[in-house]
Amino acid sequence: MTRVVEIPVSFDDKSFDQFAQAHGAWPPEERVLFDARSAQWASPYGLIGLLTAAQGLTEAERERPLLTVPTNTDVSRYWARAGFFAHAGDLFELHGKVPRVKPAAESDVLLTVTPVRASEDIHHIVGRIQERASHILHGELGIEAKATMGFAMALSEACQNIIEHAGTSGWVAVHAYSWRKRLGKRVVVIAVSDAGVGFRRSLEASQGRRYGDRWGDGRALEAALVQGVSRFRDPGRGQGLAGIKRYLSRWDGKISIRSGTARLSIVPSWDDDVPLREALPYFPGSQVQIVIPAQDPTRR
Amino acid sequence: MIQTIHMGHVLQEEIRTPYCDLVTRPTGAAVRHRIRAAMAEAKCRTALLDFSSIGLLDFSCADEVVAKLLRDPPPDWPDFVVLHGLNEAHRDAIHHVLEHQALAILAVMRVGGCPAILGRVAPDARTAFDRVVALAPTTARAVAAALAWPLERTREVLDTLALHRLIREDAGLYSPPGAP
Repeated sequence: MTRVVEIPVSFDDKSFDQFAQAHGAWPPEERVLFDARSAQWASPYGLIGLLTAAQGLTEAERERPLLTVPTNTDVSRYWARAGFFAHAGDLFELHGKVPRVKPAAESDVLLTVTPVRASEDIHHIVGRIQERASHILHGELGIEAKATMGFAMALSEACQNIIEHAGTSGWVAVHAYSWRKRLGKRVVVIAVSDAGVGFRRSLEASQGRRYGDRWGDGRALEAALVQGVSRFRDPGRGQGLAGIKRYLSRWDGKISIRSGTARLSIVPSWDDDVPLREALPYFPGSQVQIVIPAQDPTRR
Repeated sequence: MIQTIHMGHVLQEEIRTPYCDLVTRPTGAAVRHRIRAAMAEAKCRTALLDFSSIGLLDFSCADEVVAKLLRDPPPDWPDFVVLHGLNEAHRDAIHHVLEHQALAILAVMRVGGCPAILGRVAPDARTAFDRVVALAPTTARAVAAALAWPLERTREVLDTLALHRLIREDAGLYSPPGAP
């Protein structure tokens, strides 16, 4: 038996729940075929979410999943430039024509899909991205040049959550593109994902009793993102997410974290998202999306 | 004697990559251990941690390197530790982690070069510190006069700053330690 998981035509944070739902009970018993033939677009969140699903299946000792690549060659070439296929071959049995395109060095892909396995990876990620981030943030989004440091710090802290808490490796990607329908502006999007233990299990030992019956994915996300709680007793912990929030409040950005069956967002005025969604289809680990919009000329 | 510890050199010895960014907790912890070892070996009264060749400093590393040094000082801890060559992003990250843990340290920015306290101190202490910097070396009486504060209150605030090793007191004269 094979379970077919259709990749949404436009695969991003909005359509991610549809993707998670298609897996059924996690981890699916059947071999999974990820059908991306109809895909027309994927955000960095979608691309690394797809790798996370395959990683989760591998770690659950399920049969290697299948992936049919997008039939639209422009789409598959974009996935290739984004660095998706550089890693997909290790996790999926690929079907269809995989373009021979080198991951981008010059496009709006600020950081191609990159594995986060150890702190050395974060040194490379942060070191590589700063020059291009400065060009995009300052040149295209109207964010002052010195804010590039804050952007790289946010990226570093988001990646460190994988190393510190997930109990497994994960993925990161950073793209700049236009959110025509949602915002009518250019944005930079950082996506970070892992198939690890998730926020609820990470915080359960220290916070579960405090919440009693109310404990769950939503409460765990609130504890971490709103209250700055960490599973470590060390008073210096829990400041990474707080630092990201401070940076985003300065630049009117948005952070969303999906973990297990809940998603919590710090919602800026330009977005109509709800802060907390619960009872979502389960998906393993944690998925973080950080969005920094172009600044209005009056704010510059 | 003043010991200068070049954070860029310490970082390069630790990570052996071309990057000059102080990021991640493991890197911060390793750098902290090297700083402690260097302080123990030098046994100087004042240590300057020079950040001028550091690019990015994230919150985790600011906590591991600076906050944990202050929270758990080694036995051979110098009388005064001053951060030098900070940029604005370094300053913000260090101030944020120290403020959160009610800690404070003296710092000198890369541009401007004026000593400042990062982290949490009472507003009175910050005001008195700024006046000491402007008048240094100075007496409690001169600071009290400049601030129009009672002498007793001024002495109390200056003694608290000295107790926290944020200013130096020598024969009744107060000054910021490690000023160039």
